[in-house]
Amino acid sequence: MRLKADKAIGEDLHEPSLAVHVEDLTVSYHGKPVLWDIDVDIPPGVMAAVVGPNGAGKSTLIKTILELVKPTAGHITIHGAPYRQQRKRVGYVPQRSSVDWDFPTTALDVVTMGLYGRLGWFRRPGRAERERARWALGEVRMADLADRQISQLSGGQQQRVFLARALVQEADVYFLDEPMAGVDATTERTIVALLHKLRDAGKTVIVVHHDLQTVQDYFDWMIILNIRVLAQGPVEQINTIENLHKAYGSQIALLEKAQPMIGQSRDLAARSAE
Amino acid sequence: MSGLASFLGDYTIQNVVMGATLLGIVSGVLGSFAVLRQQSLLGDTLAHAALPGVCLGFIIAGARQIESILAGAFVTAVLAALVMLALTRHSRLKTDAGLGIALSVFFAIGVVLLTYIQGTGNASQGGLDAFLFGQAAAILRSDLVIMGGITCLSLGLVAAFWKEFKLVTFDPVFAATQGLPVALLETVLTVIVAFAVVIGLQMVGVVLMAAMVIAPAVAARQWCRRLEHMVVLAATFGVVSGLAGALISAAGRGLSTGPLVILAATGLVIVSILFAPQRGVIWEEIKRSRDRRQLGDNQVLTTLRGLARQHDDPAYPVEQGMLDTYHGLGTQRALQRLQRQGLVHPVRHMPDEGPHWELTASGHAAARQVLADLDAGGR
Repeated sequence: MRLKADKAIGEDLHEPSLAVHVEDLTVSYHGKPVLWDIDVDIPPGVMAAVVGPNGAGKSTLIKTILELVKPTAGHITIHGAPYRQQRKRVGYVPQRSSVDWDFPTTALDVVTMGLYGRLGWFRRPGRAERERARWALGEVRMADLADRQISQLSGGQQQRVFLARALVQEADVYFLDEPMAGVDATTERTIVALLHKLRDAGKTVIVVHHDLQTVQDYFDWMIILNIRVLAQGPVEQINTIENLHKAYGSQIALLEKAQPMIGQSRDLAARSAE
Repeated sequence: MSGLASFLGDYTIQNVVMGATLLGIVSGVLGSFAVLRQQSLLGDTLAHAALPGVCLGFIIAGARQIESILAGAFVTAVLAALVMLALTRHSRLKTDAGLGIALSVFFAIGVVLLTYIQGTGNASQGGLDAFLFGQAAAILRSDLVIMGGITCLSLGLVAAFWKEFKLVTFDPVFAATQGLPVALLETVLTVIVAFAVVIGLQMVGVVLMAAMVIAPAVAARQWCRRLEHMVVLAATFGVVSGLAGALISAAGRGLSTGPLVILAATGLVIVSILFAPQRGVIWEEIKRSRDRRQLGDNQVLTTLRGLARQHDDPAYPVEQGMLDTYHGLGTQRALQRLQRQGLVHPVRHMPDEGPHWELTASGHAAARQVLADLDAGGR
């Protein structure tokens, strides 16, 4: 993988027909496997849900694809080339809790940060960048809150700011880590509508998702994860009780009715996966 | 007037004032980043870690020569910063533990070296321990040139890498996906605090330097909504406390400058924490009680509307005593406030009964709005 990275794009594309291609990936923290020898293939133009119990490695999968976490073994390409060559084609929405929202800045400023990589060293964001950021805030229905201090935004509004920051990147592949966790209904509707719009424009959208109830409605592709990939493919084929049972263990019958059980099923699921 | 002129014309006072200004600017700007990166105690660690450098600089130069002392201080402070970063990056230690370990180890080495030098009986060692608490009056014009150079260098770095520093401070993970060398930028932001330490050594000394990095930044944070403003205000606060300390010390008899600078900065922190709009304690208290009042008023409104609807009579008069019992507290004041807004008005129901209240048309509208807002799920 390292050697290939030095070659020019297009010279040695690997699985170029896939938006995301993960092969034999193993990731471990302190000697404990978090992802074990997984293969993931996501075709372009789909909206994919990554589901699995807590500790299944969902966030780790995304972070490894984005080279934020070093894999123990494996091989990842995005549209046929390693991430570092495709960085500009990839947008990322981290978990909302990953930053301190008391930071002194405005919604507009945070969205503008999505353009810093493109700007390069020593160049300051100017009128064009701010225009672009305002447009993105409009897309997430936050235009009137552009100059609001971020600590004064609600959780859902903060999440939408993060989404707008990814939007300005004009990527082809978007990764979102739990964008619907703990947000209000308005925000969830706005986010889903926007993600559908991206997908309909031919982008690939990959979402770590925690709500099994809405997978069928929101997504057209699905990856069930619990350290290993238990199933992946079009959502109507994959979203079955048998498949979910493999990830969540015997709690899945209860899960159908009681969503809050997901968190507690982790240990059982881990045990049954062994 | 001529008294003030001669006061400011004094060579020593001029030097102290200029030194305090430079220290205020640098520690305000660099402290802002340290505080926002939750490394408030970075200044403390690096200042203490400068002590072995001060001693080594003295030993190598063989005399109390400021260039080698400051260079030594810078080197060991940077070394301590790197040790702290290595500890937190390559072990499970958290930042506070890393800072604490680096501080105590380096300071211990410093004290050992200091006592060693004192034991050698070197005649020129006198005043080396002044670096512990600072000795502003000993600052020379040539020292100021060095301090000014360091100030320009620090400000230049922050200006050149402004947006990168901001992004790495706010969201290092996203910064990495933007292709920024996050580890390198974080190292620079950590190491750069050593510049403030070197400037502060003579002014406030090793022990109190921590406050100089934290206080102006914390005070400025209270008043600002943008990093740009916070950095400028922190520098201003740094300069103000530096000047206050320098001038009070010059006016008073034998009061040392460093601690006065720190006390002035602390005063600014206290004022800021109490009085800043939005974030100040007093502001928050006022807002809390206003919110509580508003909530109580809304509850009374919706109760009145609920009862009116139950009885199918928009003008249904409700007894105040019943409202009190229902809400478990006196509703007299809430009702009076609502009356002033024209949302309720008192009615005489029976001559021998207590006061009764009914909703007005706009009261019904207001109550409907409160309920609609609740249904909308808050925000």
